Amino acid sequence: MILDIIIDGLIKGSVYALLAIGFSLVLGVARIINIAHTALYMTAAYLIYVGTKLMGLPAPLAMVASVVLTVLLGLLVYTLFIKPIQEHEAAVLIATIAVAMMIQEVFLMVFGGHYLGVNPLIDGYATILGVKVTYQHLLALGLALVVLVATRLFLVKTRLGLAIRSTAQDREVANLMGMNVTRVAMSTMAVSVGMAAVTGAIVVPLVTVEPTMWMHPLIMMLAIVVLGGLGSIEGSFVGAYILGFAESLVVFMVPMGSFLKDSVALSIMILVLLMRPEGLFGVSFEEER
Amino acid sequence: MLLEVSNLTVCYDKAMIINDLSMHVAEGELVSLVGPNGAGKTTLLRAITGLVAWEKATLRGTAGGDVTLEGRISFDGRSIEKTPAHEIVRMGLVHCPERRRPFREISVLENLMAGAYLNLDKAQVQADLETVYTLFPVLAKRSKQVSGTLSGGEQQMLAVGRSLMSRPKLLCIDEPSTGLAPLMRREVFKKIQQIRELGITILLVEQEVARVFKIANRNYVLSSGKIIAQGKGEELLEDEVIRKTYLGL
Repeated sequence: MILDIIIDGLIKGSVYALLAIGFSLVLGVARIINIAHTALYMTAAYLIYVGTKLMGLPAPLAMVASVVLTVLLGLLVYTLFIKPIQEHEAAVLIATIAVAMMIQEVFLMVFGGHYLGVNPLIDGYATILGVKVTYQHLLALGLALVVLVATRLFLVKTRLGLAIRSTAQDREVANLMGMNVTRVAMSTMAVSVGMAAVTGAIVVPLVTVEPTMWMHPLIMMLAIVVLGGLGSIEGSFVGAYILGFAESLVVFMVPMGSFLKDSVALSIMILVLLMRPEGLFGVSFEEER
Repeated sequence: MLLEVSNLTVCYDKAMIINDLSMHVAEGELVSLVGPNGAGKTTLLRAITGLVAWEKATLRGTAGGDVTLEGRISFDGRSIEKTPAHEIVRMGLVHCPERRRPFREISVLENLMAGAYLNLDKAQVQADLETVYTLFPVLAKRSKQVSGTLSGGEQQMLAVGRSLMSRPKLLCIDEPSTGLAPLMRREVFKKIQQIRELGITILLVEQEVARVFKIANRNYVLSSGKIIAQGKGEELLEDEVIRKTYLGL
């Protein structure tokens, strides 16, 4: 039981960390609250379903293709709906909600509300300390950790990573260092959507694919960024594991717990907002003139 | 003429901050801009380095209001009033902002590297880093430290060092000594003179008029967005009205 919770919590935590970090990146750099973030995660999942089940492509190829297509869709959304109104934060928020609903309705129209699924990449299970864990779960955990490490290296070691972190802290000064803030925002959007799509690709064999599958991750992700502190990467990372484990605990320990998981996340969010509104790793945004 | 500003007017919404202002900086000079709070000194620097134009483009229609920018600014013989801020840096016109504004959550070294963002020549970046470390040994000592934990004086050194990493021909420094302890202020002025000895032209905004007048070649006195007097420090100090009304000495 405890081991179940630990493994489930680790996987959930890693998946939420990927989603929340991607969301935080674009929030920090461009002040975009991208509600459509998890809808793009869902898009990647659907595209993999189309690739593997309907077109019969090999799974790895379908994964790569779905990530690329989702990033392109994300950049299209950014250019058409977000960029023209980027400085109006409330308008951006509303626009991204609209985009998320559009994506949901398109999938509902095309595939109906059916529960769809994708075959695991590998079958079978390992027994760890007497608990059966499917290889697919271990693979998902491994891949999620690899992507998290890669993201960290990208942010710390590359020139674009430095530009992203600088711009997130002070857009105006980044401008004065010769960083093209608009282009940095665009690149960050690509990275962010890429992370959402990769997350979708990693978890799609473990979840049911249906048009509202973006809702639960969205709620968790918002609770995580509030808990961790808006715009803080470390905060998103730590918050993701806290809420990942909290969700596993509730699902495993409380009767009918899986109906309560969203309420638990939202309760944590409300508590944080009441007691420590800046979150665990509160970042105070630059004063803009 | 390295920098030439002619008939510049800047308005935020309906408030006129810079009013038909002309000034210039020649190569090798150290020119100061002094004047009371709210005179438009910072806005003038922001207009010169492209930040006002950037605000005008990005804040269009938001709560920030409308920004008007009229007049001509030329740098190194090229007209730059329409050039975006990140391109102006590349030309060698570098702005070290007010309140220092280091990137607080990244290390000192990363801050300096952010300054060298446009320079792809690694050997040159390394050489520039050595120059900055020689000028500010404290930055070398703290290179791995997160810059938000530095003292005010150290943050000022970092801000100036970061600007030097952008390889300025003309360095605009906005109020480097404000908010620092007296000893640290003296240090800042010493460093500014050392930077000038490196052959970098400097446009300096400062509150410490007495000290600035001693080191600057020429000075502009700004009030309500206009230049009301200019000249050498001694000349300006002889004028009783300017001394009492605008410089508070």
